[in-house]
Amino acid sequence: MSLIQELGAQLRATSDELPTGQVSVAMERLRSATELLMWVRETSVDPIGVPQLGNATEHAERAAAALRLAQDAIAAYLAAIGLSGDASAPPSGDWRAALERTGEQRPTQGAEAVAPERLGPWWQARVAQLTGEPPPDSDKAAGQGDGADTAELLRRVASGVRAGDRARVGRDLHSVNASIGLALSAVTPPVLHRLAGDLLGHEPRPEDVPRLRAAAAGRVRSMLPGTGPAVLETLIDRICRVPAQGADRPAAHPADNAVTASVLTGVLLARLGRDASSLDPAAPEPLRRPAEAAEPR
Amino acid sequence: MASVAEVRAAVDAALAQVTEGQAAIQAAREKLGEAQQSLAAALDGSANDAVGAAHASLSQADQSLEECLGATLLAVEQAQTYTAML
Repeated sequence: MSLIQELGAQLRATSDELPTGQVSVAMERLRSATELLMWVRETSVDPIGVPQLGNATEHAERAAAALRLAQDAIAAYLAAIGLSGDASAPPSGDWRAALERTGEQRPTQGAEAVAPERLGPWWQARVAQLTGEPPPDSDKAAGQGDGADTAELLRRVASGVRAGDRARVGRDLHSVNASIGLALSAVTPPVLHRLAGDLLGHEPRPEDVPRLRAAAAGRVRSMLPGTGPAVLETLIDRICRVPAQGADRPAAHPADNAVTASVLTGVLLARLGRDASSLDPAAPEPLRRPAEAAEPR
Repeated sequence: MASVAEVRAAVDAALAQVTEGQAAIQAAREKLGEAQQSLAAALDGSANDAVGAAHASLSQADQSLEECLGATLLAVEQAQTYTAML
């Protein structure tokens, strides 16, 4: 390896290791928190920190943009010194970062964990409404789970959707507490964006909305008979980076977005013919078959 | 029917998300610091415009993350003040 090749490899490694994944995780967590607080305060004049969270999210978005600019600048430098082969953009690892962080950042299981349990029945009631599956009778099965974190819950739900087993999806969603369930809203966006990109054969764009809707709406509806069409529309708009619609759509119940996003993940996996195990951050990159993937099945 | 305990629990669940976001921001800042050092060492002496742009963008990212963290602290304080008076 020549000296210039060594320099190029070092710069490429630095660019690849920039924390775009962590910033993406932070943004989704903050959005998820904002969504929940907005629902809590819907008719209250007290902001309960919502504007500040909005500011925080904007700062995180600016940081993400600055990191992309830094990657572009490094790529431009590599090209300028004649290493254009090393200058292509690194593969996005955002979805891996989103799934990796959930387990290690769960709040500690101690006295402080008591309060969120009060949301248990609230979560279970909404899951029952969405899935049509009643919560299990025993406390052990409802909201007490088996220590699964949000990433594991997503894999289980996706697996249930893939198998077309609505009862299993309902059981898996009922088995966690509200905090873990609601965190699906924060974990799923980069995963959905990635899966939709693989299905479409390119980065999702606003004009892809009808195609994604056609590919997913029927199956999402069959798994979640209680969900409103606006929830799925909002998710697809976000995947395709459609500019926000403003106040056209009323704020959905926070559980609706979380549950629908997890089911949509399973539907997209099924369309791609992939197992839920491919959502493991340690799993190898699945083979992409653009010609086949581009065809809606 | 909603109760004070339920509202408080919902706010707590949101704050748990903010806490996770803060942890991700802190982890990002640490990695960013390492990247800045690595870049500075590798590109010491370069006058290329792209190098200057990369350094500036990384500084901008770090500043934005710092401001992001500050805003989350204010949000948490305000939410906790609200739940304390419920």
